[in-house]
Amino acid sequence: MSNLVAVDNVNHRKIKINVDKIEAHGATMNLAPAVVAEFTQLATHYPIVLAKDGDTGQFVCSALLGFQAGENLFWDEDQWQAVYVPLQVRRQPFFLGDDTATEIENQSPQYVVCLDIESPSVGDQGESLYDENGEESEYFKEAKAKLAELLRGESENKAFIDTLLSMDLLESMAIEITFVNQESTRLNGLYTIKQERLTKLSSEQLSQLHKHNYLQAIYAMVISIGQMYSLIDKKNKRSK
Amino acid sequence: MQLYQTNFIMVGGFDMSNSIKTVVIVGGGTAGWITAGRIAAKHQSNSATTINVVLVESAKVPTINVGEGTWPTMRKTLIALGIRETDFIRECDASFKQGAKFARWVDGSDNDFYYHPLVLPQGFIKADLSPYWHAMQQGKNAGTSFSNAVCFQESICEQGLAPKTIRSEEYSDIANYAYHLDSGKFSKFLQKHCLEKLGITHVIDDVVAVNNHDNGDIASVATATNGKITGDLFVDCTGFASLLLGKHYQVPFIECNDVLFIDNALAVQVPYEHENSPIASHTISTAQEAGWIWDIGLYNRRGVGHVYSSNHTSEDEATQRLAEYIGPTIKELSIRKIPINSGHREKFWHKNCVAVGLSAGFLEPLEASALVLVELSAEFISEQLPQTRKVMDVAAKRFNETFLYRWQKIIDFLKLHYLLSKRNDNKFWSDNRDPQSIPESLQEMMELWRYRSPADFDFTSNNEVFPAASYQYVLYGMGFKSDYQHSQHLLNNWDFANKQFTMTEKMIQQAIKQLPSNRELLDKIKQYGFAAL
Repeated sequence: MSNLVAVDNVNHRKIKINVDKIEAHGATMNLAPAVVAEFTQLATHYPIVLAKDGDTGQFVCSALLGFQAGENLFWDEDQWQAVYVPLQVRRQPFFLGDDTATEIENQSPQYVVCLDIESPSVGDQGESLYDENGEESEYFKEAKAKLAELLRGESENKAFIDTLLSMDLLESMAIEITFVNQESTRLNGLYTIKQERLTKLSSEQLSQLHKHNYLQAIYAMVISIGQMYSLIDKKNKRSK
Repeated sequence: MQLYQTNFIMVGGFDMSNSIKTVVIVGGGTAGWITAGRIAAKHQSNSATTINVVLVESAKVPTINVGEGTWPTMRKTLIALGIRETDFIRECDASFKQGAKFARWVDGSDNDFYYHPLVLPQGFIKADLSPYWHAMQQGKNAGTSFSNAVCFQESICEQGLAPKTIRSEEYSDIANYAYHLDSGKFSKFLQKHCLEKLGITHVIDDVVAVNNHDNGDIASVATATNGKITGDLFVDCTGFASLLLGKHYQVPFIECNDVLFIDNALAVQVPYEHENSPIASHTISTAQEAGWIWDIGLYNRRGVGHVYSSNHTSEDEATQRLAEYIGPTIKELSIRKIPINSGHREKFWHKNCVAVGLSAGFLEPLEASALVLVELSAEFISEQLPQTRKVMDVAAKRFNETFLYRWQKIIDFLKLHYLLSKRNDNKFWSDNRDPQSIPESLQEMMELWRYRSPADFDFTSNNEVFPAASYQYVLYGMGFKSDYQHSQHLLNNWDFANKQFTMTEKMIQQAIKQLPSNRELLDKIKQYGFAAL
């Protein structure tokens, strides 16, 4: 369970974050939400797919980590076995909360940085959030930068997905996988780039994609699907 | 806006090989807009062979809001019109309908109900489960209703669940579904879509006269302020007035009130108690002493009404039954009385005029047959639009055969609901059981079904409206039992049957785990909408 509290330099002056324990937050994720800005890095390890949010039915970008709920094939021996870990995992144990107390009408929402004090990474060992004078540490500044990137990613993702939909560039993936132990699984509800359509875009459409720097993300998604093989390989090794 | 064809040739110059260029639809209710939309969506283009679609409607004639219930065909219709499901649901206060629950139809007791779901019985395409279900009624599993044993949808409905989730694609389903909709809003929604997206010419004016060619075809309709509107095909969507087919051509109306006794409806709009009140995902039809009450859950209100036979009860009595059903809030609601004259025109396509909707006929709304007939008619006209006047006679003949068959089958199927009732609280029910009132076609079928279940080969037309499964649901839901004593040898695949029964149970468990409530899904569609893919 998580328990989010707003961070301040009085209550949290002494608190420390054990960075080695952060990635454990993703130990049982089979889909990690992703932002467009990290697609090229993600593509080196994970299939990047679109899935629908269970609550809203709207598309979300995700890195595929496993074939069934609760399965993260990159989590092994209490370690994340990949060089690049999705931003959504690395952001732990920090979150952005709406500061409803200071909300002013017709103004963009104010955000406050919150900390999950139930996180296994929170304790008296590791990185401090503040120095002795109550000034933010380099570590905390970096953590806040990650949150800012995620926030930016939210609207960027939406614009990216809307563009893909408007150009009919998405299709659902129908993958039936049989593992070495003869178990098979059908991947449902995942969407990817419709490559056939990609080759038929008009030059106006291509230049629009280029202008928003979406081509890179689109091709990262296309190439990342190849990571499905390494994911199957991981699953096969694990089930031996 | 081109209302007058420049090539309009006066009486005498009419050429049967002229191509059909302009379709004029008279009347702008749901029938008018669905027909106009289907023709325009298929036939309007920028090419020389494009079909012009003109819809004339009076500003004065109020549309009758019939048919708040639909069939799953409506999904196909909306797709054909190029409408997004999210927009339709949001703007027509639509909700999901997964069939009908018939309460108090068998003996009138409190726990008397059965379902006519929209999902076929499990494994129906491969084998018929009804003999096995019958055999089980003697065994240890006795007591499971037919619909619950062979289909997972009844349980979904009883739990108030939706037929899909917010992650489902538009128009795709987990359990087959249709809609409940606000027909007034639906008509306006269709109009907006047709005008903005499908390039239909809209004339708001009163039709004051009909002008003939010398061969008796309609040449034009004269309007009060827009002059004559000429066309090659005229679609009569003028509602009960039946301005073209009925008034102008005097095509006779065939009443069927000797079979179906309902002749009046008292309709009322009932608000939900609070904004989180559950929305039933099925039509509820509750039998009364001389008719029945419909209860349809829209997104924002319920539509409730009592249809009754005035030969068997009075308006006061019927109002009283409706008040008992709704409760004390009825005092604040206004009740609208709608006369029902069950029947249809002797034919529907005469010369160059075809009637769609109430102008063609109307039956009591027991199985929501009004809108589906509009959809099927519009589909036929659009898909089989004659290219020249000469071939129109063939199209007309085929249309008439097809739809006469469909009306007769619907009448039979509606009557089936009344035949098997054991109710005796009013002569309404015994009169309904009187063989004199039962069409011969239905009597023959009932004879066959004494010894076997309804099967697809009982319904051999390409134009069937109700599949054999629907007859099974109603027959066995009403407590009818086929007698298999002469055909025990046919129960030779218990493995298959048991698998299907187990599968149904499993699907019920899965559905209950997976599906949101009908209200919850509709709220989410309002808030987020379905993703575009």
